[in-house]
Amino acid sequence: MNANKIYPWYFSSGAIVLYLLFIVAPALLGIYYSFTDWNSYSSEKNFIGLEHFRTILAGDPTYLLFIKNTVLFTLVTSIAKTVLGLFLALLLVSGVKAANLHRMIIFSPQVLSFLIVGLVFKSLLDPNNGFVNVTLRSMGLDVLAQNWLGSLTWAMPSIMAVDTWKGMGYIMVLFIAGLLAIPRDYYEAASIDGAGFGQKLFRITIPMLMPTITIATVLNITYGLRVFDAVYVLTNGGPGNATDVINTAVYSSFAKGYWGLGSALSTILFVIMAVISFFIIRLMNRKVEY
Amino acid sequence: MMRKRFLFSLASVLLLSTLLLAGCNSGKSTEGSGKVTLTFGTSQSGIPRTGIMQTMAKEYEQETGVKIDFQVVPDAQWRDLIKVKLASGEAPDIFNVDVDPLSMPANVRPEENAIDLTNEEFTGRMSEEILPTVSHNDKVYGVSFAPTKIWYVYYNKRIFQELGIEPPTSYAEFKAISQKIKDKDIIPFYQAPASGWYQVLPLFETGPNYEQTTAGTYEKLNNNEMKVADMTQLKTVIEQLKEFADLGYFGKDFLSNTVEAGIEAFGQEKAAMLLRVPGTEKEVSEAYPEMEDNMGFFVMPWGDNQTIGVNPGGSAAMFGNKNSKHPEEVLKFFRWITEHDHLQRVFDEGEGNLTICWPEIEPKLTQDYIDYEKNHEKGTVMQAAVKYIDPQWMDIGKDLSGMFAGAMTPDQILQNIDKRRAEQAKVLKDEKWQ
Repeated sequence: MNANKIYPWYFSSGAIVLYLLFIVAPALLGIYYSFTDWNSYSSEKNFIGLEHFRTILAGDPTYLLFIKNTVLFTLVTSIAKTVLGLFLALLLVSGVKAANLHRMIIFSPQVLSFLIVGLVFKSLLDPNNGFVNVTLRSMGLDVLAQNWLGSLTWAMPSIMAVDTWKGMGYIMVLFIAGLLAIPRDYYEAASIDGAGFGQKLFRITIPMLMPTITIATVLNITYGLRVFDAVYVLTNGGPGNATDVINTAVYSSFAKGYWGLGSALSTILFVIMAVISFFIIRLMNRKVEY
Repeated sequence: MMRKRFLFSLASVLLLSTLLLAGCNSGKSTEGSGKVTLTFGTSQSGIPRTGIMQTMAKEYEQETGVKIDFQVVPDAQWRDLIKVKLASGEAPDIFNVDVDPLSMPANVRPEENAIDLTNEEFTGRMSEEILPTVSHNDKVYGVSFAPTKIWYVYYNKRIFQELGIEPPTSYAEFKAISQKIKDKDIIPFYQAPASGWYQVLPLFETGPNYEQTTAGTYEKLNNNEMKVADMTQLKTVIEQLKEFADLGYFGKDFLSNTVEAGIEAFGQEKAAMLLRVPGTEKEVSEAYPEMEDNMGFFVMPWGDNQTIGVNPGGSAAMFGNKNSKHPEEVLKFFRWITEHDHLQRVFDEGEGNLTICWPEIEPKLTQDYIDYEKNHEKGTVMQAAVKYIDPQWMDIGKDLSGMFAGAMTPDQILQNIDKRRAEQAKVLKDEKWQ
C-alpha cells in the first residue's frame, strides 16, 4: 500500500475507532438484544428470534397506537414548524422594525431544555389555575377553557403546539439564511414584469428555497420520530396511553426491565428512520434547476 | 515500515481511549482529599419528607468525616430507574426501594446487588412483620423504618357536622354524603391521578374484602387458577371510581392533581376527604393549625369494604450496594442510623408516622386508632399477597387515568392487569404460568 492510500486512514484512525466503539458497536448490540429475552430479572440472555417483533407489530394494538401517535406527531409538527418558520422568516426579512430583536426572541425557546419548557407549560396549561384558562375565563370565554393536558381530545394537540412553539425559531433561522442568499435581481426583474407578491413567492422564493425546505423537513422529521422529552414532561404518555409515542414505550420497556423488548422497539424506530432518511437523502441529491 | 507505524498509532489511539474512559469512571464516590462520599439514591416518598435523614447525615459527616450525597428522584421515575442503575452497575452506594416480600427479590436481585446484613446486630431489632419484606433465602438485606401501612379516608369533621352527615359504612352512603358535600361547592374527595400511583390504592387496599367474600381468591390468583378479570368485586370498585369521577366527586379537572397538593386542598377545606396514612393529622395541623382536632378517619368504603387493609412492608427500605467501593462505610452508616437514639430521632422528627418497624420505639397511636382497629377486621392488602400486582402499580395508574378521561373501560383495565401479570410471570419463568 503506498503512502497516499495509507495517510487518510492514518489520520482518521482515531475517529474511526471512536465511531466503531461508541456508535456502531452499541447499535449492533442493540439489534442483537432485540432478538433475545434479555431482562433485569435474570442474567440469562436467550435467543428468541422474532418474538418481540411479532408482539409489537402483530399482537398488541397498544404498540400500533404508539407508532400511529409518533407518525401523527411527526407529520403535524413538521408541517407546522415549516409553515410557521417560513412565515416568520418572510416577515423578518421584509423590513419589519427591530428584526434582530424579534429573531432573537423567537429563536430563544430553542436553546432552552424541554424540561424547563415543559414545566413552564404545565403550569400555564393547568386546568384550574393555569394562565391560559384563567385568561380565557377572565375574558368571559369559559367555554374555550379546557383540561389541555388531561383530556383525550386536547392532550396531543397541546404537546404538538408546545413543541412547534419551541422548534419553529430554529427553522425560521434556516429560512432567513436561505432567503438572504436569493439574489435580489430576480425580484427586481419580476417586479418590472409586473409580478405580484403571490407570484414572487411561488415562482421565485419557494423554488429557490427548496434546498433549505428539504433540510428543514429532514430535521423536523427525524426530530419528530425521535420525540420523547416533550411527551414525557408534559403528559408522561397520558391520559391512559393517549399520547404515548415509540420512545416513551422504549423508555417504559427499559424501565420495567424488559430490555429485549425495548431494544426491539428501538430497532423498529431505527428502521423507520433509515427508510425515511434514505428517501429524503435521495430527494436532496436531486439537482434543483432555476 | 509504514504498516508497522500505522498499527502502532492505532494501538496508541485504543490505549488512549481506554485510559480516557477509565479516567472518567474513577473517583466516583471519593473526593480529592481522600474523604469518602457515599451516594444515597431514593424516591421522594422513600425518604422522610421532613428532611430528618439529610439533617442527621450532616451530623454523621461531622462525626465521622463520611459524607452522604442524597440523590432524590420523583416517585414515578425512581421505581424504574433503580432497576436500570442496578443492572448497569451504576447504582448508588445506598439505595431505597419500595419493598414487599413478593417483588423485592425480582426488583433488587439481592444476592447480586445487596450487602448481606443477616449478621448485623440491628437486624435482630427490626419487627417480625418487616423482616420477610427485606429478606430473601433466609438472609436479611434491607433496613427499613416503614410502619405497617394502613390507608384511611380522612375527613373534615366540621364540614361533616355542618352538613349533618356521618362517616359512611357502604358505597351507597359514601355516594350520598359526597353529593351533599358537592352541593356545597366543596370537592368531596381529593383524587391525585397526576402522581401516577394514588388512584390505584382503592383497588388493592380493599383486597381483604375480596378475600373475605370469596375465600381463597389470593391463592387462586397466585396459582394462576383465576384471572383478575374474574374478580367481579374488583370490577365494581373500578366502576365506582369511574362513577365518582363522572359525578364530579373528585372535583373538576382533577386529572392534574398531585398527591403533594392534597394536604393543601384538605387543610384549606377545599376538599372534605382525603386518602392518607396515620399521622396525617400531624402533617395537616402543622401546616393548618385551625385543622387541629378537626380530622376523623374511616376505612375506604368502595365495594362496601369495611375491613382494614394492612400492608406489612409497604414502603421503602435501604439497601447497601454490594458492588460499592465502600461497603464497610455503608455498614457503619447503617449501624449508626439504627442506634436506639437515632431511630428515636427518625421517628420523632420524621414525616409524622405514628408507628415505626422497630418495637423498641414506643408508637404514638392515639386511642381513636386503637379503638377503631379493635372494632374492625383486618387483612393483608392484595399487592402484598398476590404476585405481579405491585410491579405494575404505575401502569394500572395510567390505565385508570385513561378510564377517567374516557379512553378505557373497567373491563379493559382488568384485562391489561392480567396481560401484564402473564408478561412478568413469563419473564420470571413462573411455573404456574407455563
